[in-house]
Amino acid sequence: MATETHSRGPVGRTVSRTGFAVRAALGRRDGFAVFAGATALYLVVYLWLGDLLAFDGSGEVGILVAENPLERFFRPANSALSFEPVALVEFGVGTYLFSLNTLLGLGIALLVGVNLAVTYLAWRQPTACGIASSSGLLAGVPALLSGAACCGPLVLVIFGIQASSAALTVFQWLIPLAVVLLVGSLLWVGRTVDPALV
Amino acid sequence: MERTSRRRFVAAAGVALTGLSGCIGGLTAEGVEGESEGGEGGAEENEGRAEQSTTASGERVDGVPLRASALPVEYDFAALREEVLSGGPPKDGIPSIDEPKFRDAGEADSELRPEDVVFGLVRNGEVKAYPQKILVQHEITNDVVGGEPVAVTYCPLTGTAMGFQRGETTFGVSGKLVNNNLVMYDRATDSRWPQVLGTAISGEFEGRSLREFRLVWTTWKRWQAAHPETRVLSTETGYVRNYGQDPYGSYVPNPSGYYVRDSTLFPPLRRDDRLPNKRVVLGARLPGEESRLAFEKPALRAAKLLSASVGDAASLAVYDPRLDTGYVYRNPEDRSFDYADGQAVSSDGRSYDPADLPLDRTYAFDAMWFAWSGFYPSTEVVQ
Repeated sequence: MATETHSRGPVGRTVSRTGFAVRAALGRRDGFAVFAGATALYLVVYLWLGDLLAFDGSGEVGILVAENPLERFFRPANSALSFEPVALVEFGVGTYLFSLNTLLGLGIALLVGVNLAVTYLAWRQPTACGIASSSGLLAGVPALLSGAACCGPLVLVIFGIQASSAALTVFQWLIPLAVVLLVGSLLWVGRTVDPALV
Repeated sequence: MERTSRRRFVAAAGVALTGLSGCIGGLTAEGVEGESEGGEGGAEENEGRAEQSTTASGERVDGVPLRASALPVEYDFAALREEVLSGGPPKDGIPSIDEPKFRDAGEADSELRPEDVVFGLVRNGEVKAYPQKILVQHEITNDVVGGEPVAVTYCPLTGTAMGFQRGETTFGVSGKLVNNNLVMYDRATDSRWPQVLGTAISGEFEGRSLREFRLVWTTWKRWQAAHPETRVLSTETGYVRNYGQDPYGSYVPNPSGYYVRDSTLFPPLRRDDRLPNKRVVLGARLPGEESRLAFEKPALRAAKLLSASVGDAASLAVYDPRLDTGYVYRNPEDRSFDYADGQAVSSDGRSYDPADLPLDRTYAFDAMWFAWSGFYPSTEVVQ
């Protein structure tokens, strides 16, 4: 069990408690399952919304690598924080484009997964955490929206919404905003966990 | 952002439209297809037209072939520049294809469905097809056709496929849009060229126009039947893209998504309710002020022949069932034609291929209605 020193300030205590909550959530088999499932599901939705993953049933299997992949890996593509695909993977039922966006999406997906795992812990042991069980879930919502940012305004086509310069500006900030909200959410949830009660 | 208020723009556009801007008056529309394009109508005809194009007056500046007289623009350039906005991608974020590879029709058959849209080109005796599913991801192919450097361009948001002579430079995608239309840039001077206008609105070439030529918007099945010797742009573009997925929607088997929804992705230059936004028209710029024509494509498909008279210019559009396209001719003597078995029949009983009437053919291209009417508010609709 983790211990908490009284010499830490509020920030240190929050980080410490959050670290403890994360370890506690991931240390349980069911908590880890929530983390892994949420991370994987989020990443798939993120890539699908960004047109980087399609389930088109092409039936083909194979990998195609772009010319000069290392040079292109950091090359900006469709929108802010969107990067040039460097490999195409056909896996029978679908097609996947690998780019730096997969790593970005994975980072956000891990944050979503941790948030939901801690929320799961709060739901399973509400006495120890002393929080409402839905708070972590709420933190995941803006993160999901950020997945759309990798395809710029194209997501608006799906909904038939007219884009504007203001909307494009908002899209540019969705990914950083999601990261900030998710980290903030995690710390907010974590600070309420009392290690002595878990 | 380069965008400013619509009210300010409308006011500027109004000034331009009343002829006070000086933008319209000094410009004439040549629009004679033989002067600027190879056309589609068989290699022999094309070679003849290509010869004309090399002798047409014009000049090269920084290696870019330019028209002797500019194409018509119905707005003040400053007003158009204020309407330029970012489409999302940075400059070259949508990469042009600069080293295109081609294969023969048999090889392409395995990847193209019969109903897939292709943009066909016959120029200087060479026949090529550019699949829409590839160009939707790149928008520009810098190619050499019949020994001539050309840029084959496509804007998915306006449904416009247009060819330009490019000389010694190449063109790229700026990432900017005006009236939802691709703004190209040349890599010699970084001037900005809205595709539909074919005229630079900023940079060293501001006010100058490119020499354009016709691409035929048709299907792979029709193009292959008409030109079995065609070469086809390959998906080996040097980039990896999912060419089986159109991010905007689909043209086949039935048009869907952005291509049929009435809303545009960004606000258009202006709204014109005479036709639905996405209705396809065959647009032609004719000589003289305010002589722009939009032949509604479904109406042309049904009527086969459509006549129009705007100002002092009489025109005739003829449907080509072989490629499901149309051709626009100047018809100053108002000659009369009938239509039989896919041919235009003159009063003396002679039959002509729709691409080869004994009249001056005018450059015309497919466009979504909002795009055409936005750039050319003076246009007349023929249906």
